[in-house]
Amino acid sequence: MKNVLVYVQHKNGVTPKVTFEMATQARKLADQLGGKAHALVVGAGSTRLADALKGYPLDAIHVNDDNDVDTYLLDPVVDYLEAAAKAVGPALILVANTLTGKDVAGRLVGRLHAGVCADATDFKLEGGKIVAVMPKFGGAAVTNCELLAADYGIVTVRPNAFAAQAGGAGATVQAIDKPSGKSYGVLVEKDIEEGSGELALEEAPVVVAGGRGLGGPEPFDTLLKPLAHALGGAVGASRAAADAGWVPYSLQIGQTGKTVSPNLYIAVGISGAIQHKVGMRSSGTIVAINKDGQSPIAEFSDLMVVGDAFAIVPELTKLVQAAKS
Amino acid sequence: MKIVVTVKLVPDPNADKRIDDGTKRLVRTGAETVLNPYDEYALEAALQIKEKVGGDTTVTVFSMAPESLKETLRKALAMGADDAVLLSDAGLEGSDVWASAYAISHALKKVGFDLLIVGGLSDDGSTGATPGALAEYLQAPLVTNARKAEVVDGKLKIERETDTGYQDVTAPLPCVMTTALTFGEPRYASLKGIMGAKKKTIALLTVAELGLSEKVGQAGSKTQLLAFAPPPARGKGQVIEAADAVAGAQAIFAFLKERKLV
Repeated sequence: MKNVLVYVQHKNGVTPKVTFEMATQARKLADQLGGKAHALVVGAGSTRLADALKGYPLDAIHVNDDNDVDTYLLDPVVDYLEAAAKAVGPALILVANTLTGKDVAGRLVGRLHAGVCADATDFKLEGGKIVAVMPKFGGAAVTNCELLAADYGIVTVRPNAFAAQAGGAGATVQAIDKPSGKSYGVLVEKDIEEGSGELALEEAPVVVAGGRGLGGPEPFDTLLKPLAHALGGAVGASRAAADAGWVPYSLQIGQTGKTVSPNLYIAVGISGAIQHKVGMRSSGTIVAINKDGQSPIAEFSDLMVVGDAFAIVPELTKLVQAAKS
Repeated sequence: MKIVVTVKLVPDPNADKRIDDGTKRLVRTGAETVLNPYDEYALEAALQIKEKVGGDTTVTVFSMAPESLKETLRKALAMGADDAVLLSDAGLEGSDVWASAYAISHALKKVGFDLLIVGGLSDDGSTGATPGALAEYLQAPLVTNARKAEVVDGKLKIERETDTGYQDVTAPLPCVMTTALTFGEPRYASLKGIMGAKKKTIALLTVAELGLSEKVGQAGSKTQLLAFAPPPARGKGQVIEAADAVAGAQAIFAFLKERKLV
């Protein structure tokens, strides 16, 4: 493995921040391996996105605005990645550890007969081999996973784990040919966006999350959203809140939901069951507001304020807004 | 229609998890083995589809595990699966994602299916990559994170969760599908189901029957776990009883300011 190939997940040219984090990391790894850093951008809006990616330290960006990528589920992307991997030669392939990324990585495991390390938060090079560092078993342990094959290896990368840094000499943008002789079976009939608004939950620098203690759907809008906005963050929820139907499942944080590691996590009316803890324990600073001082979240919060969240949160929002203006 | 559901047998999720220093593998002794809770959602989806499609539709449960854990599969049979197949071989020990998917896909080709349903997550070291790798070796389409699925005119209509919302997709059969937890809570086994499960067949498969051309197990794996450590400890921080809302808010604000978070 000498080169690094980044798969750029996007929709109409809009990509999550983790793309730029991976582009930055790809440069470092390629330098250590003595190879080149490549990226693949395919689907509608790719040319536009490649332009933005040029500001990051990649050597080459392979582009095709092929609409089939958006019309058919998953398979066109995998065909392009296979073609790019074969063109680039032995390579480490970086894919974001998102729902889409996991599917892409899985198919590539079969397509390239390659090993995969999942949810990496760091990399090391040991004896010329790539080692991914990753939390495992819901954060109960940190493991090192070594890619053994010489030709291809795949790592899915946790969003928010690496810094994104623009720079470099400017990558060459080149067209990649549509893989020929393929037919696709899974047709996307409808594609609906929903969720917490401007910021993807996994990538928000601040997350304000609510749980059972909020008692219903309204406080997510009236109580948490203003605080999240004032802090430049996103709203999340515990499984209890999602199961109760107060928020869409796309906002659920925890073992069966999303894993987040923002700089600041504010848990409002969340007891801190293990199910929730494993989705947010790697946050920078954890603040809890809860009326029960004995709830488990006190054990892993940096600050726990025991009191009435319905009264405290609006006051806190005012203080943050006043500090900003 | 033949539906196959893969289930993983995992240590009880409520038991403490530990990795063995020597083998770097999850210690499976001590904790009771159960069906991976997320795979019960996959089985629920299979049973719902069977009920809707009717006719001669069957649900087969498939697992890869040591033979000593065979009886754990009775729970799936009690929930309503018709039969089970267990791929069991000492040569599979230490298989990584690639080696597991390679071996399992060959076993599933032998079993045969129109629809293969895989749980979306496992409770013991999930990578999320296994369904994709299986689909690839089975040369079948993959639709993940389904929250609704029905068979219409021989095709599968699926509503699935995405990173940014949801999608409606149509997939041809045979197909590999994974379920989101929103598909529906798994049913409980009825007393009749539990009694009936005792008479259902659990067939055994070994690696020799699969005709593999590549090595599996630890020797064939393409990744290796090198080390593990507990995560950095996060100690208990301050706990403040707020006298009133303003005092509570001020305490938090001062704390955030001190950490340069506002």
